Amino acid sequence: MMVNPTVTEPWLDAPLRRLIGDARLISGVFLHPSGRALGQFGFRDAGEVMSVCALVSAINASAQELGRQLDGKPFYEMHHPGADRQVFMARAHVGVQEYLFVGVFDNDSSLGLVEMYFAEFQQSLGSIVPQAQAAAPGPSGDFEGELNRSLDALFGPLR
Amino acid sequence: MAEMVSALSFLPGVAAAMVVGADDGLIVEASAPRSGQAGAADQRRHTAALAAYLYGKVGRASNMARLGIPAFMRLEAEGGQVCIVGSREVVLVAILDRDANLGRVRLEMMQAAQSI
Repeated sequence: MMVNPTVTEPWLDAPLRRLIGDARLISGVFLHPSGRALGQFGFRDAGEVMSVCALVSAINASAQELGRQLDGKPFYEMHHPGADRQVFMARAHVGVQEYLFVGVFDNDSSLGLVEMYFAEFQQSLGSIVPQAQAAAPGPSGDFEGELNRSLDALFGPLR
Repeated sequence: MAEMVSALSFLPGVAAAMVVGADDGLIVEASAPRSGQAGAADQRRHTAALAAYLYGKVGRASNMARLGIPAFMRLEAEGGQVCIVGSREVVLVAILDRDANLGRVRLEMMQAAQSI
């Protein structure tokens, strides 16, 4: 059964839906490197997404630096296979703006499939550059405020 | 493994041969691309991922039907064929032209799979 995504930016909806269905992803988040979520699927509440965003943002910062030190350039993708589920994390570009994506899949999919359909996802994002750049504001430096606002947009305001 | 893949790729009508991880769909070994094939690497990665996935699903169907592990899988398309043979943790994938000698390719693939 395919999970439906919720997004804060309309341009993300169709490509993300296609990625979820094609790559058979269970859950995931598309976010700004600052931690602001632009889209999520498979999570039940804002708290889970908040944790994922903070962790992915931190992992990305660490991995970028690790990549620079080991290989002279940041890593582009990361994959962590678990016993039942696997995590795929990668950077995606919409014009000059960099975003992060993290997705979870199980034995119903494979790393090869996820990589393949993520490449298609990136291509489809590339074709919507002008609208996307106009719609997506850059980071304000207020990490917590941005994260909370994006979570409000995805799940509705906390009561 | 490289020699085996290379030998398969030199069979008449075989456009490419690959050994692919059965679980992750990633290429373990692949034959050299034919000259002048633009984007061949991407094409092979995609074929490898989809072939391994398809073989996994067919294996599940075969098990559900109590037929056991699929011995040989052939996908016939307009422009050629894709043949897949499983061997424990990997699958052997061959992309064939329309005029390929299927009997010969099948035999060689089955023997190659046993040698992995």
